[in-house]
Amino acid sequence: MTGDVLLSCKGVTVGYDDSPVLSGVDLEIHRGEIVTLLGGSGCGKSTLLRAITGLLAPLSGTVTLLGRDVYALTEDERRALLRHTGMAFQRDALFSALPVIDNVALPLRELTRLPETVICEIARIKLGLVGLAGLEHRLPASLSGGQRKRAALARASILDPEIIFCDEPSAGLDPVVAAELDDTLRRFRDALGVTIVVVTHELASIRAIADRAIMFGDGHVLAEGTVAELEDSSEEGVYTFFHARAS
Amino acid sequence: MPVAVTHVDRRTRTATVALRGDLVIPTAQAMYGQLRGLARRRDVRGVIVDFADAGRVDTSGIAVVSLVQRMMAKSGKRLELVGLGEKHRAALELVQHAGPARLEREAEPPGLALRVGGAVLAYVSACRELGALAIDIVRQAWRVVTRKKTLPKGALVEQMARMGVDAVPIVALLGGLLGTTLAFQGVVLLHRFGAGQFVADMIGLSMVREFGPMMTAIILTGRTGAAIAAELGTMRVGAEIDALETMGVSPTRFLLLPRLGALTIVQPILSLFAMFVGIMGGMLITALVIHVPAAVFWDRVVDRVTLMDFIHGLGKSIAFAWIIGLAACHLGMRATADTTSVGNATTRTVVASVFFIILVDAIVATLASLGGT
Repeated sequence: MTGDVLLSCKGVTVGYDDSPVLSGVDLEIHRGEIVTLLGGSGCGKSTLLRAITGLLAPLSGTVTLLGRDVYALTEDERRALLRHTGMAFQRDALFSALPVIDNVALPLRELTRLPETVICEIARIKLGLVGLAGLEHRLPASLSGGQRKRAALARASILDPEIIFCDEPSAGLDPVVAAELDDTLRRFRDALGVTIVVVTHELASIRAIADRAIMFGDGHVLAEGTVAELEDSSEEGVYTFFHARAS
Repeated sequence: MPVAVTHVDRRTRTATVALRGDLVIPTAQAMYGQLRGLARRRDVRGVIVDFADAGRVDTSGIAVVSLVQRMMAKSGKRLELVGLGEKHRAALELVQHAGPARLEREAEPPGLALRVGGAVLAYVSACRELGALAIDIVRQAWRVVTRKKTLPKGALVEQMARMGVDAVPIVALLGGLLGTTLAFQGVVLLHRFGAGQFVADMIGLSMVREFGPMMTAIILTGRTGAAIAAELGTMRVGAEIDALETMGVSPTRFLLLPRLGALTIVQPILSLFAMFVGIMGGMLITALVIHVPAAVFWDRVVDRVTLMDFIHGLGKSIAFAWIIGLAACHLGMRATADTTSVGNATTRTVVASVFFIILVDAIVATLASLGGT
């Protein structure tokens, strides 16, 4: 844990209609880390991500992002804060009526005054980085699931945010494409110093990219540490997650 | 913005730009302008960008360097980067990972002949699809009628409730208002000639033959036709219709028949209701304004409006229901994978339905007039 704290959750309880899914979550994410949030389906990791990114107010607790309490801010302040973050959604959330390059360039066009040539060049670089060079003018509907996820990642990173959140980025992808996506995430971190938080339950991805992992289960944090530490854990839920699948 | 100190060596015709500070989104625009200006100068053959005192470089900085490099290479000039730190190198290497610039060329806009030809072909294709859909509807309906297949349990009743029961208040309100408006017009004209009681004839015939069916059809177009198109379009976008196909379930039987059946039943019933409410509205105004007793008004309506008039009005109602249903089902099912197509399907359903309803009404009115009915 080298860098300063970019994100912290203190006693965060998240859920829907007053029914908690995850309770009393305490965690810290440091600058330059790649952290994976693990757990089985329905354990609340995506719900926690929604709370962190200002999309779902927690039932209790505080979420501090880049030194500011996300839910103590006004709407405008929260939007300004979230411009320093990027989010790649599980279901890509691309605008179906816009070509890929316009999807990716949208935040730059809306939030900066850069010349169009520079905007297109940035979008081209980002699309190239995620392996979508040459597909700039395609509509999302004509892309495969993996290509759409990569386009979503390009859009999430277009403003060079300090922290990128990815919700299940490699779910449903073949191992080769998933490994390429993992490489891209690492490259973003190494070259641009971006902090990355990945929600996933793909073991190969976890082992390939995570500096640290936080595992959820039974409505709370089960374990936290490096992937090796978690793999050696004797905690039942953690052991089952890592070893039951392998056997 | 980053401070960029520029020095031009006239002997070697080389400009040196020494960067100070971060080259990031807020500073990239100024940097781009400065470097592009240098690249365009005739007295400059090369530019050296010195990163020794530069801070953070993000993708916008990389994009600026990459763009200027390409621009200079085109005009036979060179851009040299010196004093790069480890982080700068790592950031600039991203361009190599991104690969060479090879944007797909956007298609040339087609000429007039191609556009007209394309429109005709699209129209023919849409007509063919509509024909195929109509045949499939008849085929599936026949299977249901002959009990070889069944409709989804409760679907017809549910659709009838949504389309019919929920539409009663709006039909009642608009039908009543239409009847009163017609009565006011009739009273003003006919009472002047001492023919006030004939307002009943006018309202009775107008509501039964024209306004009842037409007004109900227009309400159902906006309320039900648009909803069907949006619902089917969204199901198409969400691959729910593909899911039915792959399960071997006919989307026509599962989705379209309950909606078309419900429309066919509900539209004439609502039309009848609109006729009744409209006549009642007219009766009220006539009684209040020119004091024609309700019994006299009702007797004139019963006397004047025949069974043929009802058959005429209700027959048109069923035709209108099929127009709305076919347009909504056809256009909703034709929606593509993008969300704007759902909006387009809804809009086109309303426009097409209203157009064909008025067209059919005009044709029927002309034929009826020629036939003397």
